[in-house]
Amino acid sequence: MRWFQLLLIIACAVVVAFLLLPLVALFLRVSPGDLIAALGSGVALDALIVTLKTSAIAHLLILGFGTPAAYLLATKRWRGHSATVALIELPLVLPPVVAGIALLSVFGRLGLLGETMDVLGISISFTQAAVVLAVVFVASPFFVRQAIVAFEGVDTGLLEAARTLRASPWRVFSRVALPLAARGLATGSALAFVRGLGEFGATIIFAGSFRGVTQTLPLAIYGELDQDFEAAIAISVLLVLISAALLTAIRWVPSWNPFTLTSR
Amino acid sequence: MTKLAVLVAMLAVTGGCGRDGAEAGSRPLTVFAASSLTEVFPELEPRARYQFAGSDDLALQLREGAGADVLAAASLNYSAELHDEGVVGQPVVFATNRLVLAVPEDNPGGIRSVDDLSAPDVRLVIGAEGVPVGDYTRQVLDNLDATAVLESVVSEEEDVKAIVSKIALGEADAGFVYTTDVRSAEEDILSIELPAEAQPTVEYTIAVVSESERKTEAQDFIDLVLSDEGVEALEAAGFGTP
Repeated sequence: MRWFQLLLIIACAVVVAFLLLPLVALFLRVSPGDLIAALGSGVALDALIVTLKTSAIAHLLILGFGTPAAYLLATKRWRGHSATVALIELPLVLPPVVAGIALLSVFGRLGLLGETMDVLGISISFTQAAVVLAVVFVASPFFVRQAIVAFEGVDTGLLEAARTLRASPWRVFSRVALPLAARGLATGSALAFVRGLGEFGATIIFAGSFRGVTQTLPLAIYGELDQDFEAAIAISVLLVLISAALLTAIRWVPSWNPFTLTSR
Repeated sequence: MTKLAVLVAMLAVTGGCGRDGAEAGSRPLTVFAASSLTEVFPELEPRARYQFAGSDDLALQLREGAGADVLAAASLNYSAELHDEGVVGQPVVFATNRLVLAVPEDNPGGIRSVDDLSAPDVRLVIGAEGVPVGDYTRQVLDNLDATAVLESVVSEEEDVKAIVSKIALGEADAGFVYTTDVRSAEEDILSIELPAEAQPTVEYTIAVVSESERKTEAQDFIDLVLSDEGVEALEAAGFGTP
């Protein structure tokens, strides 16, 4: 079976090379000096602040609504349960441009809620609220999906035991299910956050692009592409570094949970 | 420079792979053209393969070695720069355009002239700096001594089609676009003419890409665009001709 081992190694090498070569090329193209100079420019800094601010707010919304939703979906079954899960995952495979148009069809001036919001004096397009909505829309499935798996992985025997000891549903959730699912939740959380940082298509359509308001890092990269190519690459490198750091960090979260098996 | 060479070599290798598959003669002529020409060129020459984008993006792609035969840009500057760098041949002016102030059909902002743009709550969308339509817009506002309206800008778009769609969707109250763009979206958009003396010189240039392997056909395409037939098609779409 030697040839099979060899085949696996070759396939793996091809995958790694194909995925990494473009990123390596990106780093080769900008010197550390240029990188620091470009990042010192106002555009990159403004975009970084907008990105971190909108991503943080979006992430709180994703965790706040996504965690209980995932718990319900993982612990209860009802008619249309699997359809609900499938629909929640839909934004994962939707082209971001479609997401942008879809958001406009709801929250835009001529959208479903447009008139109602007009009456209330709320206008979302071209504001940071639009960026937050775009990020929540495209990133939340990454968390919810992972969270459902994490809650489903919790030993139901332990939940039962807690219930027979007369723990309230809230205590079962907060003291048993949540800690046991923590690692999976953290992974999903990191994935969703990183996806949110890179959000482009829905944002540019729904929120537009304005420096210091709605111009996030990916939009700034696109904007700088014709102005200052070096700066565009420098901001790209920054985005890659942040994402890589977050993804690596999540691998290092100690698995202090003795009950669940994790693949590392 | 070596890094760049590696990248170019990689592009060449991948480009080569694609070419092996098809017979050399069957590949259609590839034309890179400014977004605003989307309605004109395919009708004039349906057999060519087109890529429509912002002229700045097209320039970038050509510099990175994208395989095209003809470049038709919405600006003299980009083609002149590319010509100096040896990326394209001598550019020729083939069309002119005008800027107009575009508003949604129902004109929610009640815009009648450039002066109205300074009113509070007006949502103005323009092209970003470095994008031809964005640079022309700043020039017009400069000519009108009305740069204060830039305060109303809520979004800076990377190509003119993005401005048009935001107006057509009613999200923006107004935007500066080419008169030809309004024609292609005339059900949803009204245009307000700008004073002639404020108009910038918007010239479209066309040139053969130096790396092209089909220079004769590329030149034939350019001749077609400059012919009476080409002039007619351009004028029908609202362009001026030199």
